[in-house]
Amino acid sequence: MRDTLKIFLLPFSGLVFGIFVLMLLVYFINSMEIFQKDGLAIYTTNQWIAAEDDPQKESYGVLAAIYGSMYTSILAVLIALPLSICFAIFVIDYAPGKLREWLVIATDVMAGLPTIIYGLWGAFVLVPLLKDYVMKPLYNHLSFIPLFSFEPSTGYSFLSAGVLLGIMVTPFASAIIREAYRMVPFTYRECVYALGATRYEATKVLIGYIKPAIVAGTILAFGRAIGETVAVSLVVGNTFNIHPSLFAPGYTISSLIANQFGNAFIYRYMVSALFAAGLSLFFIGLAVNLLGIYILRRYRYAG
Amino acid sequence: MLGRVLKEKLFLAAVFILAFLTVLPLFHIVFSITARGLPVLYKGGVEFLTGTLPPPGDGLGGIAPAIIGTFVLVFLTSIVGLPVALLTGIYAAEYPNSLIGRAVKVLLQIMVEFPTILVGLFIMQVLVIPMGSYSALAGAFALAIIMMPYVAVYTEEALREIPFTYREAAFSLGLSRFKVVFMVLVRIAKKGILTGVLIGMAKVAGETAPLLFTAGGANRVYFAGIDKPVGAIPLLIYNLVQQPYENYHEIAWGAAFILMLVFLAIFIPIRLSLKEVKL
Amino acid sequence: MSAIETIDLNIYYGSNHVIKNFNLEIPENVVFAIMGPSGCGKSTLLRSFNRLLELNENARVEGDIRLYGESIYKMNPIEVRKRIGMVFQMPNPFPHMSIYDNVALGVKMNKLVESREELDERVEWALKKAALWDEVKDRLDENPSALSGGQQQRLVIARALAMKPKVLLMDEPTANLDPLATEKIEDLIYELKREYTIVIVTHSPAQAARVSDYVAFLYLGRLIEVGKTEDMFERPEEELTENYLTGRIG
Repeated sequence: MRDTLKIFLLPFSGLVFGIFVLMLLVYFINSMEIFQKDGLAIYTTNQWIAAEDDPQKESYGVLAAIYGSMYTSILAVLIALPLSICFAIFVIDYAPGKLREWLVIATDVMAGLPTIIYGLWGAFVLVPLLKDYVMKPLYNHLSFIPLFSFEPSTGYSFLSAGVLLGIMVTPFASAIIREAYRMVPFTYRECVYALGATRYEATKVLIGYIKPAIVAGTILAFGRAIGETVAVSLVVGNTFNIHPSLFAPGYTISSLIANQFGNAFIYRYMVSALFAAGLSLFFIGLAVNLLGIYILRRYRYAG
Repeated sequence: MLGRVLKEKLFLAAVFILAFLTVLPLFHIVFSITARGLPVLYKGGVEFLTGTLPPPGDGLGGIAPAIIGTFVLVFLTSIVGLPVALLTGIYAAEYPNSLIGRAVKVLLQIMVEFPTILVGLFIMQVLVIPMGSYSALAGAFALAIIMMPYVAVYTEEALREIPFTYREAAFSLGLSRFKVVFMVLVRIAKKGILTGVLIGMAKVAGETAPLLFTAGGANRVYFAGIDKPVGAIPLLIYNLVQQPYENYHEIAWGAAFILMLVFLAIFIPIRLSLKEVKL
Repeated sequence: MSAIETIDLNIYYGSNHVIKNFNLEIPENVVFAIMGPSGCGKSTLLRSFNRLLELNENARVEGDIRLYGESIYKMNPIEVRKRIGMVFQMPNPFPHMSIYDNVALGVKMNKLVESREELDERVEWALKKAALWDEVKDRLDENPSALSGGQQQRLVIARALAMKPKVLLMDEPTANLDPLATEKIEDLIYELKREYTIVIVTHSPAQAARVSDYVAFLYLGRLIEVGKTEDMFERPEEELTENYLTGRIG
């Protein structure tokens, strides 16, 4: 018997696939130009020469953006990880009923809050705060350490972007870790305490039990961070810069696209260069998400 | 012995402090935006909601084109995106073991986290350039792609949670699968599906990146048509923040306050009526 | 002509052989009880009669089942289900529809009547047949959640009867009801058997004894014994049957 439901629904699911594939194609096709001109140098060099008069003088390399995306996202995850783990522990083990509910609601709100609000707050509140209370003191006393070596002038920097992203992605990592920690079987908890462990030691063991979920949460948080655009572009400084210091301004792939696209049409190759940058983000985002989902799936079906 | 006790105390302190730090930014943000945004509303009065963008350095004017634009965009996005989203969610729920069903679920999870700027760029290439101008339609298509996975996932979960016995009862009455799904199951899952729709709409109302190269923005024109550029509150804020003028920054705070208020007003009630929320 | 006949019926869930070489004949217009300990396949067997088993992807059926002589596998499953009504263990009126709409759903969707008046008549008829009309006639628009468990189950019976099936399948219909509601339903079954063939799965031998004309005893997927109720209960042929009836197993 024909299943009319399936026949009716299938085209719509097909449409979804189609759009995704079309997106990938569009990025490939539009990157072709710059690939033909410079090959993969677009990804390995750091320069941005836009010449209005002579297209041959144009030369683009988005290495700085790739560097910045990685730098800020890793920083974000380094911040998000301890925060989400401790949040999960507190909410599950220590918080009384009502407080627990409201804490979870708070993180859900943070996860859904429009990113431009984070960006606005980041640019006008967080950045000055970080500049005056963190960056300047660290620079004044510890600038011999490469991490602190750039002189902070405006405060727009990898650090600001990393901190802001960390705040933004913590709710996502926290949701996954929280759920996993909650599902640790009660008998397991009981037996760990029965062995005479202190709270600290017991928690260490239980957290070890959910390690795959923590890994998955971290990876997915990384994916979120690297794809974020507006909040980052308002605090990272939007400068082509590859520098180890936290206080240096830089670019991320997404903020590069957002920033440069407006005037890209005047130039011959810039549009293509930006599409190529987008293509790299496409793949990084895809790889990271698939990895995170895979780890989470395996963990859920095993445990 | 002492070392163990000390570690214990440090541990508890760290857990408490870090948990607190996790949500502290939210309160700081809400506080800052209210502190800087509410006064703008007082100063600007009703005109802030009805007027248009003033010249640089000269007063507050209004953000009406952005407000109208946000409404127009959410409306268009829903028309464009909801049918596909709902039907895709239904497919994933009804055929979970088929190859396409499983692939759809994976695809939806990927798209939920997908960088939104890439969607905007894509729509720009396939819609804006052929059409020759930014438009509300282009913005709506970009937002629809972003909204779609959320609504689909909520729909799929709402359907999956329906007790099996209702499915049996519906089939036992001699209904075709099509009718069982649309006349019975979807109606039973109405609440869950509607929740997903509202959350999807709240989310896209706050999106900026997809609109950067599609909607175009409108500051002085209230509404020119769906094939013309349109404003949006997040887009306006983004543009104003990057300009050096004090009054534009003030307007940005005011607009952000409105955006935040609307978001919380929609999100918190929905969230309270649910046990949990999928991110 | 038997209402339902199974011929060498074998049912598998994946690699699990749930119903084994089942041969059964259910006569017309009787109450036919299927009893046995939990997990022996009674509910599975019942669901094979109206092809509801097909909702489970893992289920596989071998052999034949005939409805009034016609193989149900040669018919459209929707046709089969129009002729066979079903009542479930947990009363399951659709929660999002009114009492009226619940009874009317099958009739409306299958276009069994042509006008609104006919539909009203059919709904009233079905509710009367299910001995529920007097209790709900003034609140047909209300939600079924306002009804008690026993009333909800009678609503489910009305919903099934509205389709005017020839056979009524009942899967432990009183398992979740209090004794008073149970009694009402058992009285109803007695009334209905004059016009319908009723196949009732029950895990209570006492209920089978009260309500049925014929009874089949199932154990681990096999038909152990079948016959008239008085005969089975007074002089069971198989030791297994006797053990079940006296409570030594199940």
